[in-house]
Amino acid sequence: MKSVNVAVVGFGNVGRAFVKTLALKRKTLSEKYGININVVAIADSKGMVIKPSGLDDYEMLKLCEVPRSGIHMFGSYAKQGVDIAEIYDKAAPNIHVELTPANYATGEPGYTNIVFALKRGAHVVTANKAPLVLYYREIVEEARIRRLMIKFRATVMGGTPFLEMLSSMKSHDIEKVEGILNATTNYILTEMHENLLDFEQALRKAQALGIAEADPSLDIEGFDAAAKLVIISYVIGKPINISSIYRESVAQISLKDVLDAVKQGHVIKYVATLDTQKMVASVKIEKVPRDNVFAQINGTLNGVRIKSDATELFFIGRGGGRIETAHTVLDDVIEVALRGSA
Amino acid sequence: MSDRSNLCVIKVGGSLLKDSGSYIEAAKNVKRFVENNQLPIIVVSAAKGITDTLLEVAKGSVESFNKVFDVYTEIARELGSQRVFKRVLDELEILKRIAYSVSGGYDPSLQDLIVSFGERISKILMVEALEVVGVRALELNARELIVTNDVHGDATIDYIATANHLEKIVNSIVSTAAVPVIEGFIGATEDGRTTTLGRGGSDYTATSIAALLKLNDVYLVTEVDGILTADPSIISTARIVKVMSYAEAMEAAMHGAKRINPKAFEPLEKFYSSTVYIGSWRLFGTKILQVIPGECKGPKVIMHKTSHEMPYIAIIGEGVANVSFIKKVVDIIYESGVEVMGLQTYYYRPSIIIHVKRGSEISTLKLLHRKIFEEVE
Repeated sequence: MKSVNVAVVGFGNVGRAFVKTLALKRKTLSEKYGININVVAIADSKGMVIKPSGLDDYEMLKLCEVPRSGIHMFGSYAKQGVDIAEIYDKAAPNIHVELTPANYATGEPGYTNIVFALKRGAHVVTANKAPLVLYYREIVEEARIRRLMIKFRATVMGGTPFLEMLSSMKSHDIEKVEGILNATTNYILTEMHENLLDFEQALRKAQALGIAEADPSLDIEGFDAAAKLVIISYVIGKPINISSIYRESVAQISLKDVLDAVKQGHVIKYVATLDTQKMVASVKIEKVPRDNVFAQINGTLNGVRIKSDATELFFIGRGGGRIETAHTVLDDVIEVALRGSA
Repeated sequence: MSDRSNLCVIKVGGSLLKDSGSYIEAAKNVKRFVENNQLPIIVVSAAKGITDTLLEVAKGSVESFNKVFDVYTEIARELGSQRVFKRVLDELEILKRIAYSVSGGYDPSLQDLIVSFGERISKILMVEALEVVGVRALELNARELIVTNDVHGDATIDYIATANHLEKIVNSIVSTAAVPVIEGFIGATEDGRTTTLGRGGSDYTATSIAALLKLNDVYLVTEVDGILTADPSIISTARIVKVMSYAEAMEAAMHGAKRINPKAFEPLEKFYSSTVYIGSWRLFGTKILQVIPGECKGPKVIMHKTSHEMPYIAIIGEGVANVSFIKKVVDIIYESGVEVMGLQTYYYRPSIIIHVKRGSEISTLKLLHRKIFEEVE
């Protein structure tokens, strides 16, 4: 039986879903794959729990019940303040799971944490896009020279193995990747079409249901979808810079625009496109014919078309629900555990 | 597969959950089960009155939100842990955000989401109460486990999907030896939208869990000791019905019996015939079985209802549709001179319906209860 020690940094929705999923499934995983996944540390923005021998299932499930940023309130092994070095000094994790929120201005705290983990010899799994968007080359190079793995399947179509499939198309010349990459804006547009809500009402509903953030600007200004295009561009080896991506705001769509489009046999979609032949990328409002496959991608679903010199593929799946994303993160951890030298 | 023989389900009804003391009281009673080597899965309702108040919140009432806030924060504060108090505040903050976003009019999906907070917060409090009395406890999330169709306000459980979810977690939960606590009354569609199961939905959650996990015993705890032969506010001599069949319970529910939700028997009929105990912490006076022994057949419950402005009395019980019992009822009515508008019974249903003139239903009910339930034995 192979054992790996995991440190989870970032304990919001995805972090909790990851720890919970692992607690409930790790016995089965160990029977199926012969790996024992120990969680030796968990940190949120205000505190951390360190247990070098590994948290048991009950402790992991109870940790998921602490309030937001309240990990320091967990009785045993918990302390106030976050010190990643202390986690590595005391628990020596060999897989670092980085689930801090995205900060596209600085990439922090994700970038520093990831580089620190790599320097201390840990493989890294992350769902945080910002460090990759801003420092992809640096991170990948740091991992490469240390022969460590950096896995980030959860960053694009987080509930699916989309990035894994894309990166496996090594013989293809990928010419174009386009699709609906942001679940929040797709949900808002679906509500506008199906329930004839105006943008503000649809946004409020999305916020009420927890689909949109309290500050939804990263989604509605197209930044989230653009960040995903950047990661896709790196994965297929034709990198673009986020600042070069043309973006339109979905907030400018009125209910009248929707009705006009419907009258013309179209629906309005928020489409992200990476054209690797022209090396241009955009996140734009587009009128899509009702019989087009993208017109059928509704609610929180994502859908992507990959066009290569050999074929055309469609990939449809849930975007970033916490449970689905947690499973993708866990898949990455399992793969590292199975393949990594740790 | 781990041993599930010690698993059972206990539903704690909202009428029992009024304040911090009642959560502790419920927890102490659950502890008795644990000390008796049982591992109960606790299905918890919202605290008393909260569901109705949340329905007002869904209509935009700020006052009602404040009431929910006060009730739950007070219980959390009194239970004593800073961690749980903060947790409840977090949930109330989310509820507030949702409540403020519904000003755009009635939306059944948002109404279900708002109402679900009654059970969600109650679950947090119940887990805390259990830990206060020294019982290891864990939260389960009904919105991840109980899959329903999308009929908001009266959803039906998707048994296959729910069974899959329950099967996947039950072994892990049993191995932690912690009492799992799950919200009754709520679930979610396959794509994650919160739903509610209709009035009495917590019973339906409890029996579904028991039937899908093939557990022998379900305890539905309320503030009375069991199902009574009649409404005690009308008939003071009403007594507890000790044994009933599923068919009798469902028939009684169809005629409006309190404390029985007809949907609750569907999973038991379809998947596994758990025994349902209804009563209080003091006494689980009524036992409901799929099949009752011959000697337990006969009239169980008498009640009155009005349908299409016509009042009627229903006598419920397996065997009441046979000729000798019908004759007995007819004799009682004939001898007392009650004016009857109609009498209805079918051999395949455990009931007799007696339509009476408006205004005479209570006196007829009392007469029949006395003659059938009191003078016979």
